[in-house]
Formats: sequence, C-alpha cells, structure tokens
Amino acid sequence: MALSINANNNAQAGLWEFRLVGEVDISNAHYFKKQLEAALSEKRQSITVDLSDLNYIDSTGLGVIIGAYGTAKKEGLSIKLLNPKDNVKKLLNISGLDKILC
Amino acid sequence: MADLLKLNVPGKPEYVGTVRMAASSLASGAGFDVEAIDDIKVAVSEACTNIVRHAHEGPDFVYDVSFEIEREKLTITVKDDGAGYNIEEYSEPVPGEIRESGLGLFIIKALMDEVDVQSEIGVGTHIRMTKYLQTGTA
Repeated sequence: MALSINANNNAQAGLWEFRLVGEVDISNAHYFKKQLEAALSEKRQSITVDLSDLNYIDSTGLGVIIGAYGTAKKEGLSIKLLNPKDNVKKLLNISGLDKILC
Repeated sequence: MADLLKLNVPGKPEYVGTVRMAASSLASGAGFDVEAIDDIKVAVSEACTNIVRHAHEGPDFVYDVSFEIEREKLTITVKDDGAGYNIEEYSEPVPGEIRESGLGLFIIKALMDEVDVQSEIGVGTHIRMTKYLQTGTA
C-alpha cells in the first residue's frame, strides 16, 4: 500500500513535523518507524504527526506510534497526532491513544 | 444460501492490502455503509496481520480467507495452519493501558458484531467474524 512520509524540522518551533499521506499497514510500518527513529537520533525534539491525509492505519502503525511515544517520553519529549480522519480517530479511540496523543 | 468467496493468500505483508481491498469491495457490494466498510477492512486486515506476524512459517506459507455473503450479514473466516498460540494467555488491553501486544484482536472485537477465535499450538489459528447489515434506519 502506498505511504508517503514528509518529515520537516521546524527549527523555529523546535519540533519535528511529520505528515503521513496514504495508508500505514504491516507492509510499510517499518518505514515509518525508521523515519521516526532517524529524526529523533538527528535532533531530540518533540514530534507532531499530521494525519489529515492518512486514509488507513492498523495496529502495526499504531504500534510504531506507541513505541515512539515510549522513546519520546523517556527523553522528556512529546508526540502529538493532528487532524485524524473519522476512521483513524475511531482506532485511536479504541486503542486509547487519543487520550494521550490527540 | 450464502455466496462464498475463498482466497488462498501468501503469508507476506504485501498481500494484506489485497485482502483488505477484496473485503472493501465485497462489503460495499453487500450494501454496508462507509463506516461499516471501514470496520470490516480493518478487522480483516488485523486478522491477516496477526497471521503474517505470528505464524512463524517459511516463505511458502499461505493462509485462507473466506467471505460468506448473505442478505443480512457478512462473515469472514481467516485461518492458518501456523504455530498457533495459547488463547488462555491472551489478555485484552485495559482502559488507560497503552500497549502494542494484543491490540489487533482487541480491535477486531471492537469493530465486528460477532468474533470467534480458536487457536491451538502447533495446529493453527482460526478467526471467524461477522458484521450485520444495519436495517430499518433512515
């Protein structure tokens, strides 16, 4: 499934700004994980992830976000998920991630 | 009498999306609304993903997905002959607890109307899930 990831370091805000376009599932979640890890190892800064163009995510993708949340939390950083579509919002709600990341 | 569609799927990550598209197409044709179609897509994908991640079989490993299309419901069975697991050891995430393991099955149970899981170590896993068409609403 197609997934495009844009990662931008906003130096002024001191933030990593990620944007996911397409679908995250078991076939590409490892790619998302690598991008998050690379960003955090380059600059230890909090992360926002814009989900407005994310059409689908499964437990594998949610697992990547949970893992990154754990890493960020240990470093005193945060991860914020922005603008999820209704279907994505439903999964964030089921998994409980909406309470800590939205 | 149900229409029956059976897929024999290679146990590789890249084919999970193919099953998801098939599920979406069938659910749409059966008359489910957009939200229910999304629920079915996610649930089927999660069942396939569990198999691909946990069946621990070789490169030629395949699993079966069957769709039973009836007037009032869609039943999907995802079955493998993989490693299986001890259902007694599965614990569902509790509210407030954020964790990755066990999330797939938890999501399936949250999205589908009926879910039956059977698994035996060394024999395989069988997940049967049903979604009912909502009728009588505007």
